[in-house]
Amino acid sequence: MTVVRIESLSKVYGAVRAVDRISVEIGDGEFISLLGPSGCGKTTTLKMIAGFEEASEGAIRFDGADVVRVPAEKRDIGMVFQNYALFPHMTVDQNLAFGLEMRRVPRAEMRSRIDRVLEMVQLSGFSGRYPSQLSGGQQQRVALARALVIEPRILLLDEPLANLDAKLREEMRVFIRDLQRRVGITTVYVTHDQAEAMTMSDRVVVMFGGRIAQVGAPADIYERPQNLDVARFVGQVNLVSGTVASADDGTLAIDTAFGRAAAPARDGLHPGQAVTLSLRPEAIGLGAPGKAGAPGRVEARYYSGSLIDYRVALDGGETLHVQSFPTVAFAEGDRVSVHAPADRLWLIGAAQ
Amino acid sequence: MRSRVLAAYCILIYLFLAAPIIIVVGASFNAGNFLTFPPQGLSLRWYVVFFHNDVFMRAIRTSLWVAAVTTCVSLVVGTMAALFYVQHAGRWKETVRVAMLAPLLLPEVLTAIALLFFVYAIGIGTRSMFGMVVGHVLMTLPFVFINVAASLESFDPDWDMAARSLGAGRWTRFRRIMLPLIKPGVIGGALFAFIISFDMFTISFLLKGIGTSTLPIQLFDYLRTNFTPEAAAVSTLSVLLTLGVVIVSDKVLGLKLHRF
Repeated sequence: MTVVRIESLSKVYGAVRAVDRISVEIGDGEFISLLGPSGCGKTTTLKMIAGFEEASEGAIRFDGADVVRVPAEKRDIGMVFQNYALFPHMTVDQNLAFGLEMRRVPRAEMRSRIDRVLEMVQLSGFSGRYPSQLSGGQQQRVALARALVIEPRILLLDEPLANLDAKLREEMRVFIRDLQRRVGITTVYVTHDQAEAMTMSDRVVVMFGGRIAQVGAPADIYERPQNLDVARFVGQVNLVSGTVASADDGTLAIDTAFGRAAAPARDGLHPGQAVTLSLRPEAIGLGAPGKAGAPGRVEARYYSGSLIDYRVALDGGETLHVQSFPTVAFAEGDRVSVHAPADRLWLIGAAQ
Repeated sequence: MRSRVLAAYCILIYLFLAAPIIIVVGASFNAGNFLTFPPQGLSLRWYVVFFHNDVFMRAIRTSLWVAAVTTCVSLVVGTMAALFYVQHAGRWKETVRVAMLAPLLLPEVLTAIALLFFVYAIGIGTRSMFGMVVGHVLMTLPFVFINVAASLESFDPDWDMAARSLGAGRWTRFRRIMLPLIKPGVIGGALFAFIISFDMFTISFLLKGIGTSTLPIQLFDYLRTNFTPEAAAVSTLSVLLTLGVVIVSDKVLGLKLHRF
């Protein structure tokens, strides 16, 4: 359907660059998330794509054509808002019909399109209800249906799950993702919830301070964070210190408490330098004392059913967050040996 | 026990406040020649006299006409002002609000005199109804403004954005989304405008054209020389008309907000 290309797009408010020269290409049918803390510019970016905010610089291309000067009502987008923004004085049917009326779709076709979309969002039979007569989750699905029924070129979602309770939120993640795959529409999803971004997206765009920190598949972002901010923002992370032992053939060897790790060579890193590596809590294994690994002591233990979280103090002084299945259980105060596979130690950069 | 005493107290206060109106209505059915209460026998004779009184009929037509025109103008201008106030005034919001409410803060007589000088200064004078209508609009504008602005404050800008994303232009969005959702405020404002204009005395008194007269002024004129129950009949009809406007707009246009 539509490829969206964003080319050094900026939004400037006075002296503040809310969005600072970001560039990204969103493939046809791709589900992309803009992820970042509040104020990182993700919503502003979405509003610029939608046409609700005027871009200060740069271009937004839908299939090559720059739409920066096209008003929102002519961009042919479907948008889902955080608070749903359903028209309270219209029934579900009328809400869905509104966009079709604007497109002068004939009555009969309108009916069949509305019915089809309502079925997709599992709300057939709700067409005569007013938004106030629906639950939060149902309103959410009506909002989704209203955006999809016009068969827009791209679907934009602005934190659509933020107002739902935790259980419903998880159901809706899967629901939206499945629906998006079925429809095959190019989708931009804004969220500050990293788990949401990870489970739903083909690719995640992590933003900080108006800039893109990293773009990549969820696994890329999670396992190979490009900087400290990304590592910290996406999932939980242990920062492990290491020292560059040698640098040859484009490969760095790094000594850590868990043994030697390897990383591709990087400018500015030379033997003897202190570096920081990231290590995800679930990558760490705990064993009986005396086994291979760094010796330590379990400081705290948090049981959460499917997993157990430990806080482990290494004898070397570092404190680690470890996550493991309840099959191996240690008690608080137990001595343990901590090991981590070398390939899960990811070089972030020089120690700060 | 306490609450019952309180309730009785409230009822007494309301009775005290409503008593004059009840007495006027009662007095209008008087069969006698003088405005007294309790009435001396029941009769509709003073209504018949009133309906055959050309002066009063002309005055009531003038009043209705002025109130209708005032309501229309006030509604359009007041709604636009409220839109600007809520959506675009930014840091001037407080200033705009005070300016819009200024007619309520100034004594009506002063406003009327100022307007009188003004319409003569610009050469329009009081030959036409123009000056009077301007005065009425000025006095009713704050009520439209307050009511519409209150409705607009609870209008979620996301509704407008949602309609835009669905392809609706500016005018369609106003007509199909905003207007229905701020309807209670618009109708409330219109009702206030109509009733206040219909009952307006001071402004009308100073700005009315020579030979024309609105109902309140005609009534005042009449009471200076006469003391018949016809005055009570006029008042009763005026009350009924006002009440009628409120009931009809409630039934036809629906004062209640859609199903929230």
